[in-house]
Amino acid sequence: MNSSPITPVAISATKPETGPETPGTEPDPAAQAAPDALQSSRPVLQVKDVNKIYANGTVALKGADLTVRQGEFVSLLGPSGCGKSTLLRIMAGLGDVTSGTVNWWEHDYNVIGDKGRKLAFVFQNATLMPWARVRKNVRLPLDLEGDASADIEGRIDRALEMVGLTGFNNAFPRELSGGMQMRASIARAMITEPNLLLMDEPFGALDEMTRNKLNDDVLKLWQKNGWTIVFVTHSVYEAVYLSSRVVVMAARPGRIVEDIAIDEPYPRSADFRVSAEFAGYCRQVSQALERASAMGQPAQQEAH
Amino acid sequence: MGTPLIQNENFVKIAAPLAVGILFLLLWEGAVVAMEMPHYILPGPSAIGESLVNDWRPLLAALMITLKVTFMAFAISVVLGVAASLLFVQSKWIELSLFPYAVLMQVTPVVAIAPLIIIWIDDTTWALTVCAVIIAIFPIISNTTLGLRSVDPNLLSMFRMYRSSRWQELIRLRIPGALPYFFGGLRISSGLALIGAVVAEFVAGTGGAKAGLAYMILQSGYNLQIPRMFAALALITLTGIALFALMVWLSDRALRNWHESALKVEH
Repeated sequence: MNSSPITPVAISATKPETGPETPGTEPDPAAQAAPDALQSSRPVLQVKDVNKIYANGTVALKGADLTVRQGEFVSLLGPSGCGKSTLLRIMAGLGDVTSGTVNWWEHDYNVIGDKGRKLAFVFQNATLMPWARVRKNVRLPLDLEGDASADIEGRIDRALEMVGLTGFNNAFPRELSGGMQMRASIARAMITEPNLLLMDEPFGALDEMTRNKLNDDVLKLWQKNGWTIVFVTHSVYEAVYLSSRVVVMAARPGRIVEDIAIDEPYPRSADFRVSAEFAGYCRQVSQALERASAMGQPAQQEAH
Repeated sequence: MGTPLIQNENFVKIAAPLAVGILFLLLWEGAVVAMEMPHYILPGPSAIGESLVNDWRPLLAALMITLKVTFMAFAISVVLGVAASLLFVQSKWIELSLFPYAVLMQVTPVVAIAPLIIIWIDDTTWALTVCAVIIAIFPIISNTTLGLRSVDPNLLSMFRMYRSSRWQELIRLRIPGALPYFFGGLRISSGLALIGAVVAEFVAGTGGAKAGLAYMILQSGYNLQIPRMFAALALITLTGIALFALMVWLSDRALRNWHESALKVEH
């Protein structure tokens, strides 16, 4: 394995940056307007006509186009195998693309580490080092980056406080509940003060109470810190509750089929969950998801 | 309040096998006495114990020699085995080119090559050590290599996202993650080092001041000092058990905070 697997060369442009040329059924994602205020802010992440074909011939992504702007909370929603996790990994610079381009802050991968252009990733599982205590897990990104600034300890304290893990400094991951492990994982993502946070079904394995609580906490942190978040989920409710935009994907081949703006003000609270607007958006998104699921099953194939 | 001893897991863990052992020795002794078995065919435990006490001086000297070879072989196996594993994970090419030779060393019976090694190396202790290393090193190499490779791919992705160096990956991720595998290798290898030391000495048949327990067994056999033969055998067995227990303790110490193998599960 190469120590620097992300080569900007691999994702540099091979095609002109025109709109998607993919024919047929897919609506142009650009046609679905994002909220006006966000539309005008600068793009943090631009995925342009990205195709990803694995060595075995599986088309994981076909003609994916997506622009995420500063301050947006975008959810990727879709049936299993629609390539949403693949897309997210590509957005993190973790996977090469077969063709197309990915830009971060209107540059290639090299700017990700720069000041004010930090990206962080939260995995499906907490992905903590089981042999290290919570504090050591949280400070890992700083250790890896060789950050030797004076206030590191204070930053770790604040990150732990924000996720509600003060007092669990010296716990080992196995001593924490699933929700607390996820909190530690989020604290670790926060420690570098990122402004783009990519989350891959982070709360999928948690019970509903914990999930709702963590959803609220993430929303608060998002607003407070001015993050941009891309969030993969397969829960319609979670997507609608959290997002300013829900991007719906279809499988075989994995592609973006709809882009639905959730035009509701923040902060959102429990009241929003029981409002008519919430129900309406959930219906709209569910229908989009059904359409997307139908597209991915040409010959009565069961999605796994 | 104190739970009854019989419900204390630690007590049972020691007491139960001990009881079986004592029962076995009693039966053995009883059978030997009842059948009037001569000492040179099968001595009873009491005769063996007597020999342990009376011959403690030569037995202890022989034990020391065997222990010396065992520990040297074990230490060398650990150092070389870990070094080989670290080399293997640096590149698939290195592993592909060299691993078959590690296997080759493992599958060649040490009894078959020991005479050669004894011819090549003048110093008997070293010759025996080399033989024991040949047996003991493989579990260290194969387990540690497996451990170094068995990294959580998401953690590795994360390391790379923060642009970790290979060194950071090794020190902070691969080595800690490989520890449970490494300790598994230690347990197997410690026993094999002892077996290697004994087997090699059987082949070498070295007498004199540098004679270990294996030679003691051979010699006692020739002289029909069967109780002493059993005494030497008992010492080898006890050494093996002690080594294994030491490895279990070490691995427990190192992993008890985080690894499933060392955790106490409460039901």
